[in-house]
Amino acid sequence: MTSQEPAIEVRGLRKTYHRAFRKGGNEALRGMDLTVPEGSAFGLIGPNGAGKTTFIKSILGIVQPTEGSIRVLGGSPEDPRIRARIGYLPERLHLPGTWTAPAFLATVTRLKGLPVDPAGNLRLLERVGLSDAVGRRIGGYSKGMRQRLGLAAALVGTPSLLVLDEPTDGIDPMGRMEVRRILQDEVQRGTTLFLNSHLLAETERVCDRVAILAGGRVVREGRLEDLARGGVRWLVRFAPGANTEALVTAGFVRGVAEGQYVVEAEDPAALNGALDRARAAGALMVELRRDGTDLESVLMGTVEAAA
Amino acid sequence: MKPVLGIAGYVLREAMSRKFILAFMVGITLVLTVVALSLRIEVVDGALAASRLFGEEIRSSIRSVDVALRPVYQAAAFLVFYGGILFGIVACSDFAPSLMSPGRIEHLLALPIQRWHLLAGTFLGVMVLALGGTLYGTTGLVLIFGVKAGYWTAGPLIAGLLACVGFAAVYAVMLTAATLVRSAALCAASGFVFLVGGIIAGYRQQMTPFFEEGFGREAFRAVTLVLPRLSALAVAAGDIAASTPLEVRSLGLLLLGVLVFGFGALAVGFWRFEGKDY
Repeated sequence: MTSQEPAIEVRGLRKTYHRAFRKGGNEALRGMDLTVPEGSAFGLIGPNGAGKTTFIKSILGIVQPTEGSIRVLGGSPEDPRIRARIGYLPERLHLPGTWTAPAFLATVTRLKGLPVDPAGNLRLLERVGLSDAVGRRIGGYSKGMRQRLGLAAALVGTPSLLVLDEPTDGIDPMGRMEVRRILQDEVQRGTTLFLNSHLLAETERVCDRVAILAGGRVVREGRLEDLARGGVRWLVRFAPGANTEALVTAGFVRGVAEGQYVVEAEDPAALNGALDRARAAGALMVELRRDGTDLESVLMGTVEAAA
Repeated sequence: MKPVLGIAGYVLREAMSRKFILAFMVGITLVLTVVALSLRIEVVDGALAASRLFGEEIRSSIRSVDVALRPVYQAAAFLVFYGGILFGIVACSDFAPSLMSPGRIEHLLALPIQRWHLLAGTFLGVMVLALGGTLYGTTGLVLIFGVKAGYWTAGPLIAGLLACVGFAAVYAVMLTAATLVRSAALCAASGFVFLVGGIIAGYRQQMTPFFEEGFGREAFRAVTLVLPRLSALAVAAGDIAASTPLEVRSLGLLLLGVLVFGFGALAVGFWRFEGKDY
């Protein structure tokens, strides 16, 4: 694989689930195009039923597409040599309850065609914070511990591509921070991270690129800062007692909350000019932020526009 | 081949953690231990002079040991054949549905293994389990009677292997059923129905006159023609265990029929599994 080749490249991907004795079918993906650059931390977000899980299963060869082409790490996901370089954590990983974590990891290692490395597996368990639970049966693990073990299984064999479906589901806030640190370490190491999480804050913190999926299509995709750029609108809050008329004259529009105003400014000079006029009118600024900068706003706006 | 062995190991590890299967192995051990400790056999010049079970004398005429042990081995062969298959149907019915459960199948299919490895590994794991259990029981029986009566025969072991061949065909149907519908109950039901069908198929010649001539009789003949004759295989296993002449005309053809059916059923399962979305 050349360094320019994307980690995942999907063109015109369609998937229709057919049911016996029923006409037509359920179209989960409707001509999806997506490119995930190698070494990036890529987040897939979208509402329920958008086709996120079907897409993930498609790129792993678990679901066979109705139409379109899929290339993962420069090859077909059907090729076991390609899948050997992928670490996957499914949304609801079902683990054998009577096994211990080292036994489970040893089996995963063997099925990945790698020599069993008990010391390496113990290091992995330590890395995901399960070193104290090594001797316990998986059946006694909490949901968060199972999720950590699933992450450890995905990390077996230092994969080139990590595909994680809701990796922090059930993990407490401290644990999420640890998982986030592990994922960031992996990305720094050069691993491509493909993340599907309904926790947008999580995606925002880990990923540098995001695609929004709605109705089986990618409706928006790009670098996080480009998507989250709120445009020219800024939210400003002034201390009580500000002269509303003077502020309106200075170009501010009254917002919904007490003391909140909206101003449109194309660049920093225009923004500071407006703020100077407000200050000249005796208004004291206490808060300034770009309107609609979080991923949630981007998602809501994009999905509503696509509907 | 390595991934197939890996999946077989996965299945065996799962099996070893099932209390039901462990209880069965403990049960076999207990039965063999009780027989070994409570049965006393006196053999004089190769003839069974007297035998005692739990201290009570079993009245029988003086016969040579091999003749005296025939009904014992024959009964054991039938018990291993039908009892073993029935237990196998119940105990192994959820292995494949469990491997195909949401959250597990996605994880397995994302690993660098081919889909057919998964089914072949499951089949192999279950067969190793069946073979291990059968050989454990029959070897124990042969050892007990061999030591006590001085009569050594491989008949019960061969009969046990025939039971495993019968179970292989039954499990092939169950595995294929699991690829169609992921349900342990349906998997067990398909195995049970197939076992009953296989018993009927073994007596098809004797049962055919019970049907009115015409469509009914032809339909019965057609259905039982494709089913392997499991009851005939059980009778052959009993004969081999008892070292008596075989009732069936050709054991080779009978085995071939069972194996062809089993491979056919597996082929359908493999084909279905290859094209299925999870």
